[in-house]
Amino acid sequence: MTSTVLKPRRQRPRRSTVLTIGMLAAAAYFLLPLFWLVVASSKTSEDLFSTFGLWFSGDFHLFENIRLTLTQDDGVFLKWLWNTLLYAVTAAGGGALLAALAGYGFSKYRFKGNRTMFMIVLGAVMVPTTALAIPTYLVFSEIGLADTPWAIILPSLVNPFGLLLMRVYVEASVPDSLLEAARIDGASEFRIFFQVVLRLLAPGFATVLLFALVHTWNNYFLPLIMLNDPELYPITVGLARWQGQAAAAGGASGDLIPLVITGSLLSIIPLVIAFLFLQRYWQSGLVAGAVKQ
Amino acid sequence: MTATTETRTSRPESAPGGPGRKRRGDRRTLAGYMFVAPFMIVFLAMFALPLVYAAYFSLFREQLVGGNVFVGLENYTRAFGDEQLWTGIGRVGLFFLIQVPIMLVAALAFALALDTGLVRLKRTTRLAIFVPYAVPGVIATLMWGFLYGPDFGPFAQLADWLGTSAPDFLGPDLMLGSLANIVFWEFTGYNMVILFAALRSVPTEIYEAAAVDGAGQWRIAWSIKIPALRAALAVCMIFSIIGAFQLFNEPQLMQSLAPTVIDAAYTPNLYAYNLAFVGQEYNYAAAVSFVLGLVILVGSYAFMFATNRRSRR
Amino acid sequence: MTPRFRRRTGLAAALAGPLSLAACGRHTVDPPKSVTQAEIDQAMQTPTELNFWTWVPGIEKEVALFQEAYPQITVDVVNAGQGNPHYAKLRTALRAGNGAPDIAQLEYQMIPSFVITEDLLDLGPYGAGEIGDQFVEFAWSQVTGANGEVWAIPQDTGPMGMLYRDDILQTHGIEVPATWDDFAASAAALHEADPEVYLTNFAPAQGAFFAAMLWQAGADPFGGSEGPDLNVDLTSPEAEKVARYWGELSEQDLISVDADFNDQWYQALNKGKYATWIAPAWAPTFLQSAAASTAGLWRVAPLPQWEAGQQVSSNWGGSTSAVMATTRNPIAAAVFAQFINTDPASTGTMANEQFLYPPTKAILEDPAFTGQQLDFYGGQEVNGLFAEIGTTVAPDFQWAPFQDKVYADFTATVGTAVAEKTDAFAAMEAWQQRIEEYAKYQGFTVRQP
Repeated sequence: MTSTVLKPRRQRPRRSTVLTIGMLAAAAYFLLPLFWLVVASSKTSEDLFSTFGLWFSGDFHLFENIRLTLTQDDGVFLKWLWNTLLYAVTAAGGGALLAALAGYGFSKYRFKGNRTMFMIVLGAVMVPTTALAIPTYLVFSEIGLADTPWAIILPSLVNPFGLLLMRVYVEASVPDSLLEAARIDGASEFRIFFQVVLRLLAPGFATVLLFALVHTWNNYFLPLIMLNDPELYPITVGLARWQGQAAAAGGASGDLIPLVITGSLLSIIPLVIAFLFLQRYWQSGLVAGAVKQ
Repeated sequence: MTATTETRTSRPESAPGGPGRKRRGDRRTLAGYMFVAPFMIVFLAMFALPLVYAAYFSLFREQLVGGNVFVGLENYTRAFGDEQLWTGIGRVGLFFLIQVPIMLVAALAFALALDTGLVRLKRTTRLAIFVPYAVPGVIATLMWGFLYGPDFGPFAQLADWLGTSAPDFLGPDLMLGSLANIVFWEFTGYNMVILFAALRSVPTEIYEAAAVDGAGQWRIAWSIKIPALRAALAVCMIFSIIGAFQLFNEPQLMQSLAPTVIDAAYTPNLYAYNLAFVGQEYNYAAAVSFVLGLVILVGSYAFMFATNRRSRR
Repeated sequence: MTPRFRRRTGLAAALAGPLSLAACGRHTVDPPKSVTQAEIDQAMQTPTELNFWTWVPGIEKEVALFQEAYPQITVDVVNAGQGNPHYAKLRTALRAGNGAPDIAQLEYQMIPSFVITEDLLDLGPYGAGEIGDQFVEFAWSQVTGANGEVWAIPQDTGPMGMLYRDDILQTHGIEVPATWDDFAASAAALHEADPEVYLTNFAPAQGAFFAAMLWQAGADPFGGSEGPDLNVDLTSPEAEKVARYWGELSEQDLISVDADFNDQWYQALNKGKYATWIAPAWAPTFLQSAAASTAGLWRVAPLPQWEAGQQVSSNWGGSTSAVMATTRNPIAAAVFAQFINTDPASTGTMANEQFLYPPTKAILEDPAFTGQQLDFYGGQEVNGLFAEIGTTVAPDFQWAPFQDKVYADFTATVGTAVAEKTDAFAAMEAWQQRIEEYAKYQGFTVRQP
């Protein structure tokens, strides 16, 4: 795959067929499992395990599966979808803003503890928290956050990767001379940030926003441990609940398997839309224009 | 990492500090604190506090029979001599050495190819490469598990038609590679997006100038773009070190397909999880988590040290 | 909303105070000697919220019946998945000292694991001491403690039988095996006739299946354990017999060794890779949806026997309702656990609408239940057959106080040996050793009889 990328020679940059074919081959690889997901979503539970997995069966059941997914348990899927959206958007928006502020602060200001604090944040990420659910739960319940939406939103606001990334972007794309010029014009530090810097950081900000969005969207273990009220569940925990029921003894519960698959497909769609929307920020001339000063 | 080492960073400082501007500097120090405060406050409450508590917790040993005693660093000495833990660390180390370079080279290649503007269907391709990142790990593993299937998976069936047999993707020999492929599938797009966004923050007139000077795309990529991506690549690298050593979701989910290949200590993070939730050795699990954190810290630091030295040369 | 307990310890106190996490801020009920009917009546007329963690689909029906009978009590049903996620969540909340439910679904093999950590409330004083004779003996014996405590109320069970593909066996002229010797011979004959098909599958991570095999053979590895004194005997002649049997079938490639309850396994069931599934009473319903494309082809027979003419079975799965010791509403919770599992309307709904295989004698003797003819099984009266099998389950089998760890070690030792065709009995010794080491580390006194 890499060799095709290196092909283009000195020609004027128009379109390269070799490169396009290479990239399409890569795209096919990345889409193959998703194709399976689409195919599987279109099958009844009977066909799911008895027909060839990479092609549609005669009985095209996609719309029926979608209807069943949306109406199962009095439409609880939509409730989960709404919760997920709420958690992800608030956590990602807030988190990206906090990361941008702090990344800028760490990068452009000299103050006591700057490096120490930054290193502590990075060091904390190195410790895997999977096995630390009990201490974490205890601290959260003492603060009074367990079983509230805040238990999901607040921790997701802290995005150490986002911080690191924003610091790198600030260093790469915010020239000190620009800040000095703004200061000479008499702008306050925060005004400089919101009116000048944030625009320069658009690609980085959009990247961090997207990652935080996906991260919160797919968060599973934290909500599982923290939330008891089914009305607060995000999609991931909800789908796992259906999956658990599908494998549980008794009931005609195997019929839930197509719903888990269809629900997964549906849950990806908002993220695809978010990506397409945020993509504009990488493509706009906004950045290049701003740097020209 | 103490407070005294902080102010001198290697960055050339622009603020022309003179005695006359001291008040201004104070104000600016304050502004610096204000910028980082919101992040740091939430960080301390949501992240650091549970970690501190877990660290305290790791100094005890609570038995199912016999209660709770303070054991000091005993859990840590046990961890340093724990063969299962170090086998796991060795395994993810190998995973890191093989999977991460391939993934980052591919992500870089995709980002550069898309950035040249030579590719048709650019948006579609970019979306296709990124979408796997948006797929929850549970679903990703479900899908790959199906594709890998030794009896009814499409590769197996294809091989069957051709009269041979497909390699056993879920067997002990190939499992690490199969996991690496899933992680590659999930995260190449993620890294590509970081690199692509970084490319977008490089002023385009530099390329234009180079193109006017007669440099080809390949030359521009090598001499201008890749050096400009150094910082972003370092970020990707650190993420990947952490991601590889903390590998958990994929092996845990693949366990249902190959339970005898992926044992309880297959990766160190999986080991810590099983210690806590299967063996109820919560204190020791906390110690294992911190030891793993230390290993990752040392690894990341070594990486940064190595790259800094090379770039200084 | 869940009832929120008073926060008695500040964070500072939690950090500096008692050293044990479990002890910090944790409230537990001191069970009274007995509870009078007047106390029960009063509690049941006081507005109360109960929190119930379960994964059983459709349990809302039984909950509704309860709320009809006791309108003052509201029950919040919470589902956090089945198996490990459920127990991880439950243990976390219990040890943190708040956020745990009043009542939780527990599988039989997990009861001693929660008893040893003092998380369960003895329901004996709350009237459960008198309801034992409503349940089949092997179910009741598994929920009661050494001193007559009632740790949980049985909800469903899984007496072991054998589901088989009538069409496959007939095609190759193989009779339904009645003994394990027949079974081994049939496995060889079938695999020779069609190398793509195996007589059965041995799932190498299914400790519960292997436990059922040990149980049937008369091995009771943890039998006689009490509190901190733990018996471990996985190398008894009975256990050795079972290990060698499955090890040898696998070594000769007469059975498959695929992991179960995943996509591949569902496919294999649908496509006829396995001619039998040695499985419990809940399996027939499960199979109807998991292998829907094979409707009408399956039949059910009793479990093959070690000695011809015998009838001995064992149990795999099923679960109970247990009340947590941390509950603030012990009476209401205890009444609830008993109501949903003994009330005739409630147990009837469970058995006939949710297809949970019942542990209550009343339903097991009810022709409306036992006489049901299932089309998926060619019209066979499957419930009736399992009801008969249920009477042959040996009542004395004991679980370890850390059965999830025992299962994990099974996979790593015996399961792996069978899958990789290495010495299965040597693996039993390794299993024994791992459990002993772990038990000693956890403070148990280990005895090998």
